[in-house]
Amino acid sequence: MIENLKALPQNLRDSVVRYTLHPTSDRERSQATFHNLFLHLQSVRVHRNTLRVAYSFGLGLITTASFVLLTLTGILLMVYYKPSTELAYGSVKDIHFVVPAGRFIRNIHRWAAHLMVVAVFLHMARVFYTGSYKKPREFNWLVGLALLVLTLGLSFTGYLLPWDQLAYWAITIGANIANSPREVTDALHITKFLDVGGFQKQLLLGANYVGQEALIRFYVLHVAALPILMAMLMGVHFWRVRKDGGLSRDETAPRDPNDVFSPTKTYGLMAVVRGRTPAVGRGPEGTVQSWPHLLWAEMAVFMFTVAVTLALSYFFDAPLKEMADPAIPENPAKAPWYFLGLQELVSYSAFMGGVGIPTIALIGLGLIPYLDRDPRGVGKWFGGPEGKRIFWLSTVFGLISVVALLALTVNCGWLRNWIPSIPQPVITLINPGTVIVLLYAAWSLWILRRTASLRLSAVALFTCFLAGFVVLTSMGSIFRGPNWQFYWWPSQWPVH
Amino acid sequence: MSDPSRAYKWILLISSLVTLGFLLAAAARENVTAEWRHVQKDYQRILLAKAGDATSRRVAGQFPVEIRQVTVPALNTVDRCVSCHLGIDDPRMKDQPEPHRAHPKELLKIHRTEKFGCTVCHQGQGAALTFHEAKAEDYFWDYPLLPASLTEASCNSCHDPRALPRGAAAKLVRGMELFDEKGCWACHKLDGKGGQLGPALDNVGLKTKHQFIRANLKGSQTVWHWLSQHFRDPMGIVPGSRMPAPALTPVENEALTVYMLSLRKRSLPEEYLAPDKIEQKYARLHPPAPNGEALYKQYCASCHDTGLYTRWDKNFQRFVPAIRNPSFVRTEDDECLLANVEEGRPGTFMPAWGPKAGGLSKPEMEALVAYLRGAVKPAELAAAPAGGSVERGRTLFGRNCAGCHGAQGQGLIAPALANPVFQKAATDAFIAETIRSGRENTPMPAFARAGFGQAEIADLIAHIRKGFTK
Repeated sequence: MIENLKALPQNLRDSVVRYTLHPTSDRERSQATFHNLFLHLQSVRVHRNTLRVAYSFGLGLITTASFVLLTLTGILLMVYYKPSTELAYGSVKDIHFVVPAGRFIRNIHRWAAHLMVVAVFLHMARVFYTGSYKKPREFNWLVGLALLVLTLGLSFTGYLLPWDQLAYWAITIGANIANSPREVTDALHITKFLDVGGFQKQLLLGANYVGQEALIRFYVLHVAALPILMAMLMGVHFWRVRKDGGLSRDETAPRDPNDVFSPTKTYGLMAVVRGRTPAVGRGPEGTVQSWPHLLWAEMAVFMFTVAVTLALSYFFDAPLKEMADPAIPENPAKAPWYFLGLQELVSYSAFMGGVGIPTIALIGLGLIPYLDRDPRGVGKWFGGPEGKRIFWLSTVFGLISVVALLALTVNCGWLRNWIPSIPQPVITLINPGTVIVLLYAAWSLWILRRTASLRLSAVALFTCFLAGFVVLTSMGSIFRGPNWQFYWWPSQWPVH
Repeated sequence: MSDPSRAYKWILLISSLVTLGFLLAAAARENVTAEWRHVQKDYQRILLAKAGDATSRRVAGQFPVEIRQVTVPALNTVDRCVSCHLGIDDPRMKDQPEPHRAHPKELLKIHRTEKFGCTVCHQGQGAALTFHEAKAEDYFWDYPLLPASLTEASCNSCHDPRALPRGAAAKLVRGMELFDEKGCWACHKLDGKGGQLGPALDNVGLKTKHQFIRANLKGSQTVWHWLSQHFRDPMGIVPGSRMPAPALTPVENEALTVYMLSLRKRSLPEEYLAPDKIEQKYARLHPPAPNGEALYKQYCASCHDTGLYTRWDKNFQRFVPAIRNPSFVRTEDDECLLANVEEGRPGTFMPAWGPKAGGLSKPEMEALVAYLRGAVKPAELAAAPAGGSVERGRTLFGRNCAGCHGAQGQGLIAPALANPVFQKAATDAFIAETIRSGRENTPMPAFARAGFGQAEIADLIAHIRKGFTK
């Protein structure tokens, strides 16, 4: 018995670790990897390309790391947060002022949320530009899109919880965006029979206004429903990354002559012997052991995310304005920043900005892998120099056209200013938002005709949309002041 | 052959060090260098210096450094001010600098901190732990810390200021007097009484700065700064405002600001209200006998002044009639005066003062009419000549009257004759007499002296009654 007690630490460790924590040979490393629930999500060996910083920039991992940070800090915040309109604001104030490390934790939660939204967008761009959505990764692209929507949903639902003026009016705007199909049903005089917008808003808020019902809905979505869904989809996403062949790479690139094996592989061995040959340190087909190389990379990206988030959280407090007051509207009332591009479009036409254009964009994104079946160009940024040229051209075109259109709208107004009696359906169909979509579509069709390549035309369209998104979002966040007027800088805003 | 994870190892090392650094810095910021910790240690030093005997030295030595707060569930407040203001109830701290100083005037003996907390009187963000955030002037908080000179404003929440011992809330009482003296009631309602040209002021003390037009407000953006600047120059702060500057000395300005800030519609638990506050609340049910002169000063004087002369109001851009002018009062009977007070003159700046509009009761209006009348008895008016012609009347009116009364009787610088209340209240005899004799001390001449006889007057009356197009 004494002996067993003495051996307890060793036995305990052996019982927990299925294989070994200190593998010495590649065989042991492989074993260590696939004998561990968490490590077996990755393959035993990965291609060297996977580890190239400039290929993936670790964006998927940054997103994951932000999610982990958000989950941890979110659980801590839940301990003190009270989802009631009476108590919510005070509880957030207490978190800010007296809860040990509360201010820091809330800041981390806020910054990690912003970081996650940014990283998820960039990750999507990276996957698109490296052609990584192509067969067999089409479905994972769709899962990724769902994760993008979930990320925005999580961020949006979290926005309301502090119950301050910023939250209240941002969600009021958001709910009105959900209400925007009314513009069409009103114009068709069918709102009485088919009130899609009203239904969406009711579903979101549980009432006609942002109140206790909305708060508890958003809370449940934010802390339970959406995170569970998110975690499940993330599992699917990772699993498919692994099953669909790992991180995408250029399969057609010429092999490094120093590689151990030629492309036609007929080997079956568990480890490569050490020795003084040129092949030492190189695995089959330019692969390396996941343990430790991929683990180093993952830990590095994870800690990098943590470090950036902590640095931001140390210096910049998460905003907390006055307590929500339905009697005192914020002017301008702005949605969360990633919806400000949409809010800018909503200011032209509620339906097009709130429903039409986002739906078109999401459907378009989802269709990309099923329309572009050309297997070439996977694993290379922009698929090669031609793609890169199209990318830059499209960036210029996308930026110039959207900026020109905004300049026109700001300086000369739009149809309503020119023909005051114009019926609303005309504006719903022809407004700066739809015009920019049409311009982008025309540009991409022109590229298609010129190059006869669906891939290049997709690059053109995606790039244009990205440029439009960036410009419209900046427009909404920086250049729009009270009454949604244009201002060069917030310091020019009139007080009230 | 280079190590493929070399770059990552460096990133990992540096990121980990940065993370560790910020974690330590955040821990230090909260646990070592926090403002309230310094304050409490200073306080302990003061305690030690003041300790006379061994016991108090030992107590001071064991003074715990911790967050302190006063929780008042009845007021829904948690005030952490006492984390730094530790000596407020310690008479030994009278000579110490803030934040250690004892609370002045021994007010805490009547208002125990445990029952009242701090923010119910001082406002400010009680939950905060730094002075900057507690003061909350340029912070996202609706009610920043009231400056000490304005704290009296809070007394009104639980006390009838006039019932307080003399001098206890001198500024507040002075402010209330000024509100009557300056005739603010003429345009502003309080508790349902008052004119309607300006906004009602019942809850102005609980308005936040976002509810004021601050485009022209220089300097501090607090509500009290807005109020005092606005009293100095109403039109400069609110463009287009018709409010005359109330001509206040700086001391009076502050007093009126305090009174404005004290107007808070807030339901406080009964146990917090002083008996006199409850009495004040129910005093309205048993109003004292109305005093016509006082009522006139409150509700009428700011436009009509003494009422003996017609005055040109530059904000309204018109003449305000002389309603206590003997020649006017003589021609009107009490019924007509009362109708004018009760219903006002729609379309002009004269509001209705009846119970449903300005909130004056019948006895109050009667007292007002009695005051307007003074010692002048209504004269027996000669019956008005009848049978005039609208056509001839129009010509006469155009030549002699339209310049002041407007071609359609809409009133320019002189009263509007087409006004329905005028048409209803004024008798033909009254109109005839006014045309004939004019109105002393006003620009209205006596047309009898210009040769108007019965016929002309009859024509004019016909026109005034029937000739204006609607």
